[in-house]
Amino acid sequence: MRILKIWLCLLVIGAPSLIFAQSKTVTGKITDNRDESPLVEATVSVVGKPITTKTGPDGSFSINLPADARSLRISYIGFTDRIVSVAGVTSIDVAMAASSQNLTEVVVTGYGGTRRKDITGSIVSLKAKDFNQGLIQSPDQLLQNKVAGLEVTNTSGQPGAAATIQIRGNSSIRSNSNPLFVVDGVPLDGSSARPNLGNAFGSTPSSNPLLFIDPNSIAQIEVLKDAASAAIYGARGANGVIIITTKKGSAGPMQIEVGANYGVNAGFIKRFEVLDAGEYRGALKKFNQPATFDGGTSTDALKAITQVGFTQNYSVAFSGGNEVGKFRASFLGSHQEGFLKKTALDKYLGTIGGNYKFLDKKLVIDFNIIAGNYGEVLTSVSNTAGSTGNIVSSALSWNPTEPLTKNGLYNFPSNGSGNPLAFNDAYSDKSSVNAFLANMSVSYTFLKNLEYKFLYGINYGTGIRKINVEGWLPGIPNLSTLGNAAIGDAKLLTQTFTHTLNYTKDLGSKLSLNAVAGYEYWNSDFSGGSIDARGFKTNLTQTTRTDIPYTSIFQNALTQNPYNTFANPTSEIQSVFARATLNYLDRYIVTASLRRDGSSRFGANNKYGNFPAVGVKWAISNEDFMKSNTLFSNLGLRASFGLTGNQEFPAGSSQEQFILNTFTTFPQIVNGNPNLKWESSATYNVGLDFALNKGKIYGSIDYYNKNTSDILFQTNAIQPAPASISFVNLEDANLINSGVEIAIGADIVQTNKITWDVNANISFNTNDVKNFTDPNTNRDNFVPTGQINGQGVSGTLAQVITNNQPVNAYYLKTFGGFDSSGKQLLSADPSFAGDPNPQTLAGFSTSLRYNKLTLSINMGGAFGFLIYNNTATAVTNIAGLAQGRNIDKAALNSGEGVSSGVGASTRFLEQGDYFKMRNATIRYSVGNIGNYVKNFSAFVSGSNLFVLTKFTGFDPEVNIDKSSNSYPSRSIEYVPYPTPRVITFGLNFSL
Amino acid sequence: MNRNKMFPNFALSLVAVAAMTGCTKLNENLNSTLTSAEVSATPGSTAGLVQAAYADLTGLLHSQDQLFSLQENATDESLVPTRGGDWDDNGVWRVVHSHNWNADHQQVLNVFNGLNKLNFNATNVLLFKPSAQQAAEARFLRAIALYHLLDLYGQYPFREPGENLLNAPVVRTGAVAIDFIIAELNAALPALPTTPGAVASQDAARFLLMRCFLNKGAFLNKATPTFAAADMQQVITLGNAIITSGRYSITPNYFDNFSPDNGAKSKEGIFTYVNTGGVAANNGGPQARWNMTLHYNSYTPLNPNAGWNGFSTVSEFYSSFNTGATPTAFGPSDTLFDGRIGGRFYRGATDISGLRPGFLVGQQFNELNVATKDRKGNPLAYTPAIAANMIETGNNLEVTGIRVVKYVPDYEFYGGPAGNDLMIFRFADAWLMVAEARFRTGDIPGSLTMVNQLRALRNAPPLSSMTLANPNKVNDPNTLISERGRELYWESVRRTDLIRFNLFSKPWQFKTSTDAKNLLFPIPNQALAANPNLKQNTGY
Repeated sequence: MRILKIWLCLLVIGAPSLIFAQSKTVTGKITDNRDESPLVEATVSVVGKPITTKTGPDGSFSINLPADARSLRISYIGFTDRIVSVAGVTSIDVAMAASSQNLTEVVVTGYGGTRRKDITGSIVSLKAKDFNQGLIQSPDQLLQNKVAGLEVTNTSGQPGAAATIQIRGNSSIRSNSNPLFVVDGVPLDGSSARPNLGNAFGSTPSSNPLLFIDPNSIAQIEVLKDAASAAIYGARGANGVIIITTKKGSAGPMQIEVGANYGVNAGFIKRFEVLDAGEYRGALKKFNQPATFDGGTSTDALKAITQVGFTQNYSVAFSGGNEVGKFRASFLGSHQEGFLKKTALDKYLGTIGGNYKFLDKKLVIDFNIIAGNYGEVLTSVSNTAGSTGNIVSSALSWNPTEPLTKNGLYNFPSNGSGNPLAFNDAYSDKSSVNAFLANMSVSYTFLKNLEYKFLYGINYGTGIRKINVEGWLPGIPNLSTLGNAAIGDAKLLTQTFTHTLNYTKDLGSKLSLNAVAGYEYWNSDFSGGSIDARGFKTNLTQTTRTDIPYTSIFQNALTQNPYNTFANPTSEIQSVFARATLNYLDRYIVTASLRRDGSSRFGANNKYGNFPAVGVKWAISNEDFMKSNTLFSNLGLRASFGLTGNQEFPAGSSQEQFILNTFTTFPQIVNGNPNLKWESSATYNVGLDFALNKGKIYGSIDYYNKNTSDILFQTNAIQPAPASISFVNLEDANLINSGVEIAIGADIVQTNKITWDVNANISFNTNDVKNFTDPNTNRDNFVPTGQINGQGVSGTLAQVITNNQPVNAYYLKTFGGFDSSGKQLLSADPSFAGDPNPQTLAGFSTSLRYNKLTLSINMGGAFGFLIYNNTATAVTNIAGLAQGRNIDKAALNSGEGVSSGVGASTRFLEQGDYFKMRNATIRYSVGNIGNYVKNFSAFVSGSNLFVLTKFTGFDPEVNIDKSSNSYPSRSIEYVPYPTPRVITFGLNFSL
Repeated sequence: MNRNKMFPNFALSLVAVAAMTGCTKLNENLNSTLTSAEVSATPGSTAGLVQAAYADLTGLLHSQDQLFSLQENATDESLVPTRGGDWDDNGVWRVVHSHNWNADHQQVLNVFNGLNKLNFNATNVLLFKPSAQQAAEARFLRAIALYHLLDLYGQYPFREPGENLLNAPVVRTGAVAIDFIIAELNAALPALPTTPGAVASQDAARFLLMRCFLNKGAFLNKATPTFAAADMQQVITLGNAIITSGRYSITPNYFDNFSPDNGAKSKEGIFTYVNTGGVAANNGGPQARWNMTLHYNSYTPLNPNAGWNGFSTVSEFYSSFNTGATPTAFGPSDTLFDGRIGGRFYRGATDISGLRPGFLVGQQFNELNVATKDRKGNPLAYTPAIAANMIETGNNLEVTGIRVVKYVPDYEFYGGPAGNDLMIFRFADAWLMVAEARFRTGDIPGSLTMVNQLRALRNAPPLSSMTLANPNKVNDPNTLISERGRELYWESVRRTDLIRFNLFSKPWQFKTSTDAKNLLFPIPNQALAANPNLKQNTGY
């Protein structure tokens, strides 16, 4: 009530000046300087006077000024305030620059929002304008290099492939250390409904589970990095949380936004250097190899498997509404051809959202529906190809003097390399996923400050996948002369029911309170099946092929395995949670939260866990003694502590399980552990936020220490046991990630004609495993992982998870050069050989606008880690020369003899440091054309333009899944899907 | 309706919604697997548990890198030379042959875990109200696991049915360990069926008892085994029960015991693992037995991946067949030599790929009798010589080493799963065990007669005299151990045999170590880390 009185007083005081001092009217238009779109409801006020107005739906305003008014202040949430002179003008257009420093904007913190100034933890909030640009297939790519301490590693050049996402280092020694994704309040379970299906060449890279979210429809993304922020997500928060909020309609006239773009692949970002025909002939001579190995032609097999590949994206969005009802609907149609022949990603996605208010705006109904289909066409790229190879290994080892085809048929030399074009032609792998993510919420404000909200969310996905490998492909056991086919299906269903009470109140003029409390129930089911067969009668020779896929004549196969089905145990989480933020005088802010999570995954003896957090902030710049300071426009010191959990282990691990298997067997497959509980991470975070020079330079520095204990460990079962592994909590073991993150931004130039801003971030992380011992015997655990694949290196493991080492430390035989006969010298025993986890991540982006032309650049890299080059070890080693296969240039010039032998060693460890030009975009904003077309802009954009690195493989941004026995690997390269440069042209306008 | 009235209604409806989604007990629904209570309540589930224990044999016994590798590559019968870029595999194969393994060796670990999985799954049957026969089968299968664990590692962990798997089990060793296995087999035997084959039979139990009694002295003291007359008499009695049962006979064509249709052709199978060609449902197939040794170009349609071009035997072992000269240009006719050497036309193989099962030496031919070439275009002619360090580097690296194809490839399902049944316990082995027990109890003429009876059926000339073993020449042809080698080569018994004949610590080709610690494999470090009751074997 008191607040209302103050406002009334202001109005009364303000009114006379409105009446008596007017002498001049200024009109104008306020726009976003990026695309000249109008800023609706921006505040225009007279500096030094209590006169304000708001812009209309087209961004225009009109304001009456007193004679002594000199300037106007323009402010808009998410943009830096502008002060413009009105001396001698009656009309003024202002292009506003977006800012990430607005202190009153709301940051989504889970189950509600918090004003930026009240944030006590480490949260980065990115708006659409901040996102990475260019060809974006999934939301995680929007964030690449934009957030200090967030690492998004594209593990494959395959369009739609999954990325490795880590916040603040590797905090898990199990396979999934991705953060929790929450979309419009619905926590996802991180899996994709694309079926996993084996094939003759090994396991294919995973599909990105976020493919169904149209990147164009995302309004903002929050990255919750510290435990105090993520603790509101309890047992799922330990890897950090990424909250995606889709675009909503706004009050105003109906609007149509249209976007179209076209892309082409423009070559390898980096090639794996093998010998060309001339060099190969030289090598044959140098090493005295038979002249019969010279096929007499010149072939670039690596180029032969790639295609220019065109991409088309069309998007359209409608939005509109008024005070009590708003909606937005958008559609995306996208066809992207991959860099390797035949591969593609198709997406057809629709997003519809609305916000409707009833009962004097007390009852609010919100809904968001994402529905769509995406299809992937894959080739025989595989993570674990053995001696029979795959498309990439065969292209690398292809004898460059041999033609790939002869007389219109594929040429198959007897050197065992395989023909990469034939691999591509004989292999077909198509999947189609229908995905549906919807939420609906009802909220009711039944006391003035108290709002109740119920949200129901559902994520439903079904996928089908068909693989055909034609039997004319020679030289592959169980395939050649037979033909293989497999069909898989998968179904994913996740539901969320959330009840929250939100209370916001000013407790006197100095103290304000924002509190939320709630109950949530979440469940997730995943099921699927697969069937495979071999021994078909068609397509068994190159010359007698039909276009009928085996999956259309499945019953024809001689050998059919039965339809194998599975349904994972249901995961259920039931929680109560509460969070309160107290702000005293805008100087001292305290946030405390508690979540109590019960999870069905945990053992009968440990169903519930508590996850508390507390954060404090001292807004130093609001202190009286800082009033006279002109340097800092904002200075705040934050400290937080929180406990988060991790329950990412296979559901069902706490129970003894018996499986009804093929061949009427009925074995026990899980040992069971009724004491199983969550892994908990205790994180301290200390941060400093600052803004200098009226907010033109801003940034933050954070130090964190994340100590993960009660480590959920896939341990070796105590034999005799039904399974060789079982899950336990290692109570005394610790996995410690600590580091520093620095983010700095500057609005260097801000005029109507030119704006230039720069953002940079850098983070340093160290990773250590401590007290990692077996509870029964107190011996150090020693878990080898990191499979090295290929001929001659079967069963070799390159990494180890053990005590007092970083996770996945390299553990390899030491390479000691070559002996006089050119044989490589390897130590008898392996030893620790370095860290595969990047210790430093850096990102740099800038945007420079001159009038209507804007250049945006985003770059980034990772430093301080080693990559193991499995491709050089096993595919392009010098032994290949003696078999008539191609080898890499490093092998040729090494001084090694052709009979040196193959072996994994430190020889193939390479510095992984890289810096990548992720995207550069030039956009020309034409503005309005005629009466109808508004905000027309056109752009040209280049993604993955170049990479600076010493790594000799394809792309140093690599993490092929080489897990062994479900223990994860890190930074191993093996015949990956190569990364292309992509050039995109496009245009956007609205009606 | 005024606001005040509406509010409670609204609140009530919220409560209703909350109740709908309300508290759950968080009991985990497994959805496609069963809990142990559900298993107990499901009729017929015990049979599935028994089947699961049988299925544990498949990987353990079929794979080239499990029991086969430890029992064969560690002996004079088999080795895997590194061939240029192939078969280095971090040296795992070479260290097995040269006896330089350690407690981190993957094969040593995998066999330990595989045997203990069988140990567990067989024990678990006893928890689910088995019938008398099911219990007997389970105890028999567990005895197999314990027998191998004791033989390879000198000790075995043991759990009672229903024991808490998070607790470390007791470990048995020495006389207690072997006596328990014997007692178990004796207890199980009466409840087993009499028909031999894939299901544990009384004869299978007798056979395993024979092995226990024959090896008991070696299990108790591997360095200097002794053989108690009573034990040997048990071997003879049990063996005679098998021999006189009328259920078995020596199969005239040796390779019919190992052919894709050996289930029908062989009369020697006492305990077998039945495989069905082309059906992966039993997860089996002995295809690795030919893939691991045959050259990449051995079968035209699968060139150049028709084989893995790895496993070979050494010329010393080959010489125990006493064929005379070093087998350089070997080309046996269909009438010469010991039938077990092979080299003869075999229908279903030679007419399809040119392959003549048995020992492969010299030029190989395809089904059209055209000489086959290796990947470099050299003649595919296997040579007996192998580099002393087992690392082949020369131009001939693809063709060194005599190859051994005992299981005749199933060309209908060449890549697998192939249809040949795996011979786990074979009649000829029982025959030779009786002969050995007679020898060890002083009945040397009776022993020689039995050996020569077998040799006659194998188209081999009789031995005029025979000793047990020649400590100065492992491959002396006129010894019983060599006869066992000639009959049972590549059947995963060689290591146990060499230890029993006190030859395992003698040097042979490419193995110079005479260290007695190698008589036992080390307990894998991984197992030691999990169970404090396991004690590392001496020397490791």
